[in-house]
Amino acid sequence: MSRITGGVIDRGTTLSFHFDGKRYQGHPGDTLASALLANGVRLIGRSFKYHRPRGVFSSGAEEPNALVRLGSGARAEPNSRATVVELFDGLVATSQTHVGSLRRDALALNDLLAPFLPAGFYYKTFMWPKAFWESVYEPAIRRAAGLGRLSGEPDPDRYGRGFLHCEVLVIGGGAAGLAAALTAARAGARVVLADDDFRLGGRLLSESHDLDGVPAVEWVARAEAEFASLPNLRVLRRTTVFGAYDHGVYGAVERVSDHQPEPGDGMRQTLWRITAKRTVLAAGATERHIPFADNDRPGIMLAGAMRSFVNRWAATPQRTPADPVAIFTNNDDGHRTAQDLLARGVPVAGVVDTRDDAVAQGEYRVIAGATVTGTRGRLGLRAIKVTQAGRSEWVDCAALGVSGGWNPNVHLTCHHRGRPVWDAALLAFVPGSDNPPGLLAAGACAGRGSTRAALADGARMAAAALAEIGIAADPCELPEAEDSASPPQPFWYVPGTRRAWVDFQNDVTVKDIALAHQENMRPVEHLKRWTTLGMATDQGKTSNVTALAIMADLTGRTIPDTGTTVFRPPYAPVSLGVLGGGDQGENFRPRRLTPTHHWAKAQGAVFVEAGAWMRAQYFPQSGEAHWQQSVEREARAVRSAVGLCDVTTLGKIDVQGTDAGAFLDRLYCNAMASLKVGRVRYGLMLREDGFAYDDGTCARLAVDHYVVTTTTANAGLVYRNLEFARQCLWPEFDVQLVSVTDAWAQIAVAGPNSRALLERVVDGLDLSNAAFPFMACAGVTVCGGLRARLFRISFSGELAYEIAVPARYGHALMARLMDCGQDLGVTPYGTETLGVLRIEKGHPAGAEINGQTSAAMLGLGRMVSPAKDAIGAVMSRREGLAAETRRLIGLVPVDPAARLVAGAHLFPNGARQSLESGEGWITSACFSPQLGSRIGLGFLERGEDRLGDIIVAANPLEGESVPVRAVSLPFVDPTGERLRA
Amino acid sequence: MPDLAPLSALGAETPGSIHTGRLVLREISDIALATLALRNGGTAPMPFGLVLPGPLGWNPGNLAGAFWIAPGQWMISADGRAHTDFACDLKSAAPDCAVTEQTDGWAVFEIVSPEGAAPIGNLLERIVNLDPRILNAGAATRTHMAHMSVFLVRPADDRLTILGMRSAAASLWHALLEAVRGISAHG
Repeated sequence: MSRITGGVIDRGTTLSFHFDGKRYQGHPGDTLASALLANGVRLIGRSFKYHRPRGVFSSGAEEPNALVRLGSGARAEPNSRATVVELFDGLVATSQTHVGSLRRDALALNDLLAPFLPAGFYYKTFMWPKAFWESVYEPAIRRAAGLGRLSGEPDPDRYGRGFLHCEVLVIGGGAAGLAAALTAARAGARVVLADDDFRLGGRLLSESHDLDGVPAVEWVARAEAEFASLPNLRVLRRTTVFGAYDHGVYGAVERVSDHQPEPGDGMRQTLWRITAKRTVLAAGATERHIPFADNDRPGIMLAGAMRSFVNRWAATPQRTPADPVAIFTNNDDGHRTAQDLLARGVPVAGVVDTRDDAVAQGEYRVIAGATVTGTRGRLGLRAIKVTQAGRSEWVDCAALGVSGGWNPNVHLTCHHRGRPVWDAALLAFVPGSDNPPGLLAAGACAGRGSTRAALADGARMAAAALAEIGIAADPCELPEAEDSASPPQPFWYVPGTRRAWVDFQNDVTVKDIALAHQENMRPVEHLKRWTTLGMATDQGKTSNVTALAIMADLTGRTIPDTGTTVFRPPYAPVSLGVLGGGDQGENFRPRRLTPTHHWAKAQGAVFVEAGAWMRAQYFPQSGEAHWQQSVEREARAVRSAVGLCDVTTLGKIDVQGTDAGAFLDRLYCNAMASLKVGRVRYGLMLREDGFAYDDGTCARLAVDHYVVTTTTANAGLVYRNLEFARQCLWPEFDVQLVSVTDAWAQIAVAGPNSRALLERVVDGLDLSNAAFPFMACAGVTVCGGLRARLFRISFSGELAYEIAVPARYGHALMARLMDCGQDLGVTPYGTETLGVLRIEKGHPAGAEINGQTSAAMLGLGRMVSPAKDAIGAVMSRREGLAAETRRLIGLVPVDPAARLVAGAHLFPNGARQSLESGEGWITSACFSPQLGSRIGLGFLERGEDRLGDIIVAANPLEGESVPVRAVSLPFVDPTGERLRA
Repeated sequence: MPDLAPLSALGAETPGSIHTGRLVLREISDIALATLALRNGGTAPMPFGLVLPGPLGWNPGNLAGAFWIAPGQWMISADGRAHTDFACDLKSAAPDCAVTEQTDGWAVFEIVSPEGAAPIGNLLERIVNLDPRILNAGAATRTHMAHMSVFLVRPADDRLTILGMRSAAASLWHALLEAVRGISAHG
């Protein structure tokens, strides 16, 4: 055990947890990392490439080493940083990246092979034979490489989402963030304070200095008490702001229940989109290390992290309380750790300071002008080799704190492509002048890192932010605090022949950077990709700047000349589950259900997605083993009796106004103003470029009232285009538009018995041919007075109607029609049958009107009225389109048993099949129960002149070439007798 | 009266209702809706004595209520009249305007907070990207919720009405329940 007294943990409560199957104990307030250290566990995982033993290196989000799998089963989450995992009772963690036990990892062999595995080795090594890459090399490399594995099971957790709006967003709850939040909230602004820790205070919790003469923890508690009294301030703990986006929007993830054994019925995490008028970034700073030989052993960690473990968590990285601890530093901050260790009774073996003039700031040995040049201890540090003035000595120690200075956490300032600038005095990158608009950096992340400076800067930046949005803030009374800040010596790494790690997570060493330099991978972007430095969960938080400094040293250039790292969201790992918003399966996106959906479901219908709609595809009956059987039965029923199909999904747009006719004349390529009241007309709409894009019927209910129907797919697009035309093109027209797609349930009643069936539900309307002919429409009532609209239109080619009632009655009307029509052979049919019937009738649909075909190609060229202008009409006559000779025709295989497939290309019979000899393609194909053969629609060059010709439909994907005959359309009822019966 | 039995937008004979967390969610299926649009150059009428509100406005009225949905366009509502031809009545009351029946175009959900305004505020921040200051009591607006277009009406601080596409009623209801669950998770 290495738990000492003090700390900000609740010792009154004991928590049990497991690591690699062994039970340990900790306390509320612990992280998994602090609890493991307190239990004397120093070996936590193996490294990514060389499988080197690794322990805790940091105390925060930057952790590169202590990655574990949390939980088990479907909830197992790999690559979790033990330093940010809040301990709870029952937590289960497992080490990763080893074969066999953690202590005796079989793949530690990789470390012995290290001379053969430098950066980029696989780019050169696994080149031949080429076929081996996917089948042999890559699987083997993936198996050997580190990081955890996913469970492969569906995510059982729920995720929430939400939106917050505020005047000031404060990111970070340390000294600067707390001062900023207090300043802004006291001024009455709406403030959101987000901190990724479960406890506010940031580094204040890790330091031993007082604020206003009281421990920092007490001052933080007072601030929190004031926060609770400020209703305009919202504190989001356990919340990581991971990205800065456009228009003052920030992405944040709140870990709602990750600190509990199971989220139960609640949310695991919530994705917040925070819209802030101004943002104060108080993200603090991350300590950097100094690479030296064998600097990756468990027990070697950042000196500031060591101070955190001692002061906040009362945990030391020793094996036993008697073990000495050493410090390696190039700045005064390392000495602060030594002082705190001594104050807590931890023996200090000495401080190795690279500065020649370093002096002790307490009762400990200082080795000035010295470096650490080696270490011992296979599974945990036992000794360090200290070299001073050419002489070396081994110093026994169980842990080593390393301090190479601090890097401001500028990440979010770069999310809009902002570039940090090099501060030569601080020896660090600080935010540049091109932050995301409205973002002000404060405190350590701006290079002002003493407690006093951070507090003052937080208050100052909050006041500045408020001033920009017209809110006056009173000066914030701030506590007295330490103000020591001394930049480090520019000492970046200890040269040597052994490997010195720069990026622990990716096993990138100083040698690898030198190799990248040698291979001319010198630009920082190349360095990253060649070596993998800065990738994975820590995104190089402890390595990027050091790597730049080493590359600068190798190239003889300055650090800013060498480059900067471009930081992109997310700042820290974010689960895909929470980004997805939590909805899965049928709720993954909104689903639209037709008014007869529940009826169809009760009939056993099989559904198909049509955009957001769920449509009945077919209605299988007992004894039908294949969908084709159901569809043939349904199609025959429509041709011989009567069928019912819910066509509510077709878009319906209510068009009113004295200029409605003139307006529609400009939207449709054919005339609509001349349409008589009580009549329906088929209409075709063109895009501005002259191609056809949608078709449907247009009914005139009154002189100033039309209902436009669209295809299901283009309902939104057509409505949008109509609105654009109304608002922007011809605002002088008196036209009013409303989408009424959802308001009306519409059912197609098709087949020779359709009139007889409708006569049983429509109240007192003469449906005879004379009174209600083909393409008539009327407002009617059904079933004893329910308002309805009746249209005599046909997609199937049969005598057919569509009847619309208020949507709430769609279910009941369908059931009523079924009940009334039993003796008439009534049968429900789905979209598959709909497709068969319209192909038999030769009606174009989405496969034909696909945005690449013209009215002429569809055989509808004469619909483009020369007597008026309409959108796309002029462009449809342009040379390129007018010269187009492909025409829509029918196709039947010469051998009735042969297969036709949509997408097959058409070639002259006997011609070599090539791109140049292609003459068209098949757009739609089906088996026609009516003809007893497969049939198709297709575009064929000069198609109207080649009826009767034999051509070839080629399906090169399956090596098929089928002789087909070009025939005229439609396949059924060419004279329209059935339609007008 | 027609001899057909209507279904609610959620697909049941009776409207959906649930008391969950600190909120009561109810499907309102008997409200009649119709849009009223001015003809070009027309002036706003006062159908049923109703003063038609401006942008963001909602007027509960007596016989019918109205909220603004677009320039020169309002949604007119009448409680308990879904079974009637309300659009026809509205057209009679505003003969110079374009009137379109909307009763079954929308699923209407009412959320009531027995504990006052706060739970409604908590719900709003989980369903719409809207500054809560915009939707004070008496306001109405159109926005997106869970990838669906919705109207929000705030009749009172402790009450919220949501109108969404009828066909997507189940998805909207699901999104509301998930949002309520999210509030509960935060205590």
